[in-house]
Amino acid sequence: MTPAVTTDVPRLLPRDGERIQNWRAHSAKFGRIPYRNAAGSLINDIEASGLTGRGGAAFPTYRKLAAVLEASVRKRVRPTVIANGAESEPASEKDATLLWLAPHLVLDGLQLAAEAVGAESAVLYTHAHRAGDVGARLREAIADRFDDHVAVRLAIAPPRFLAGQETALISHLDGGPAIPRFPFPRVTEQGLDGDPTLVQNAETLAHLALIARFGPGWFREIGTRREPGSFLATVRRADGRPRIMELPLGTPVPEVIGGLGQVTALLIGGYHGTWVPVARAAKLRLDNESLSSVGASVGAGILAALPGDRCGLVESARILRYLALESAGQCGPCLNGLPRMSAALTALARGRAPRGTRADLERWAGLVTGRGACHHPDGTARFVASALRTFAAELDRHGRGQCGATNAAPFLPVPQSAARTEEDWL
Amino acid sequence: MEIVGEINSSTALWYISRATGVVALLLMTAVLLLGLLVSRQGKLPGLPKFAVTGLHRNLSLIAVAFVGLHVLTAVTDGYVNIPLLSAVVPLSSPYERLWLALGAVSLDLTLAIAVTSLVRNRLRRKTWKAVHWLAYLSWPVAWLHSYGSASDLRGGWLFLLALADLLAVVVAVGWRLAAAARDVPRAERVGLIMTAVHQRGRSR
Repeated sequence: MTPAVTTDVPRLLPRDGERIQNWRAHSAKFGRIPYRNAAGSLINDIEASGLTGRGGAAFPTYRKLAAVLEASVRKRVRPTVIANGAESEPASEKDATLLWLAPHLVLDGLQLAAEAVGAESAVLYTHAHRAGDVGARLREAIADRFDDHVAVRLAIAPPRFLAGQETALISHLDGGPAIPRFPFPRVTEQGLDGDPTLVQNAETLAHLALIARFGPGWFREIGTRREPGSFLATVRRADGRPRIMELPLGTPVPEVIGGLGQVTALLIGGYHGTWVPVARAAKLRLDNESLSSVGASVGAGILAALPGDRCGLVESARILRYLALESAGQCGPCLNGLPRMSAALTALARGRAPRGTRADLERWAGLVTGRGACHHPDGTARFVASALRTFAAELDRHGRGQCGATNAAPFLPVPQSAARTEEDWL
Repeated sequence: MEIVGEINSSTALWYISRATGVVALLLMTAVLLLGLLVSRQGKLPGLPKFAVTGLHRNLSLIAVAFVGLHVLTAVTDGYVNIPLLSAVVPLSSPYERLWLALGAVSLDLTLAIAVTSLVRNRLRRKTWKAVHWLAYLSWPVAWLHSYGSASDLRGGWLFLLALADLLAVVVAVGWRLAAAARDVPRAERVGLIMTAVHQRGRSR
């Protein structure tokens, strides 16, 4: 069930891809959980380490920890900690792989984060499609541990693109549909049951567990000065197979992709990410400082190289159709805008678009941006705008009824089942 | 009331109370109609949506002010004996016991709606909404109180006005229910729009 794993940085993932499923083996390798016995002392180490969230937003981890601690002291309630392994992005497999290969590292991080903010309950959230393998293993792993201070509950995210968004996740755990709400009040103030809640990506917690053991100095040994440490990437080279790689931040793109000769463009950051022409991508490094020059970010570490025999326009239209269908249907601009954008890009890809369709699409991308409760319209608009830029030559070709692709098989993974009823969001 | 005497210092309060009562009923009707419109995110000709909401809010404050004036003048006036307590406690007034009880109930409900709306930021949305729903109870009770306790409303132009209020509210609530029945459940909206726009693209 595990994709190929390669790592030159054996921090989170074992070098040979062997699972450290067993609690004894894990303890033998990493030692026992280094509890600090004082709420908050770990937060200083995390601040010094420069660890940021690995779920996509790259928010400084210590600030969330501090905010939850402060809010729970002020409100005199015990917060909840949630390890987010929902990984609802179809192109990503790094969290499922981490939870499969090194579950105890994430669970250690969950315990340490719970201690740091004074939490009395913890949740581990995983994707519905991985409930059978990863979920079952996690249940075993949780039962296997004997040094936990707080009980960990396993929760299963419905297979919806937005289900991993932190407010959607909390709505789901509260018994509602997994749809996002406006970000305010922050979940660090009012999350699960209305109490302060810490939501951290599963990988972030694994890093936290290592920093607690080896210190912030060790964490900063790799990566860049501004963006220290390593991250897990889901990399698709021209063969299309996902590879999970642990990379130092700042790794040059060509080192990761290899054989850029057969590649036309790179998708950086997943389906809310950015298409970049290969010539520009070859000069980039995988850190936000470098990627921001092309409007991209490391995000959740998704990197896909589009092979020369495929059509980027057709791929983008397929992905946009999926994104439109995954709109929660709450906010007008997203509900009305995304389907129209999808129809327009599909028409452009089929070479049957009336004049002005491209201009409409660009205008709509601008109109939906910043106008949703969550960032679904923004991320989708960014993806579409980058596709129109990167595949401009292909657009012209399609306008003349031609296509540069010789291989019509779909390249990037797109789930086929869309939500039809409220049940599909529960 | 058959007494159609002249307005002087001893009858002024009584007339003010009757007049403000009529205006309060009109305002409450307008507020309810606007509230129904706001709940469906409807528009008024020439007004943006936020202005409809603003109108609903501001008019409701004016309505509360008129209700307050109506109650205070009725209590202060010495022509009939209405204790201050009877303004809020049902069935405690020696004068028009039943009809004033309806007034008290409506006032209590109105105050609950007004207060929760003023502190809406501090409440959970569910709580605020649950209290706000009491408007559907408060208005008919207020209408019955008006009709029952004021002989002014039982005939002539004011009767037609009261009837028009009732009719407008019945029609508006009917419209609101019919609109809600046509609602597409959230989870099904995107699918419908997708099918529609993709088919339109294909037929070209």
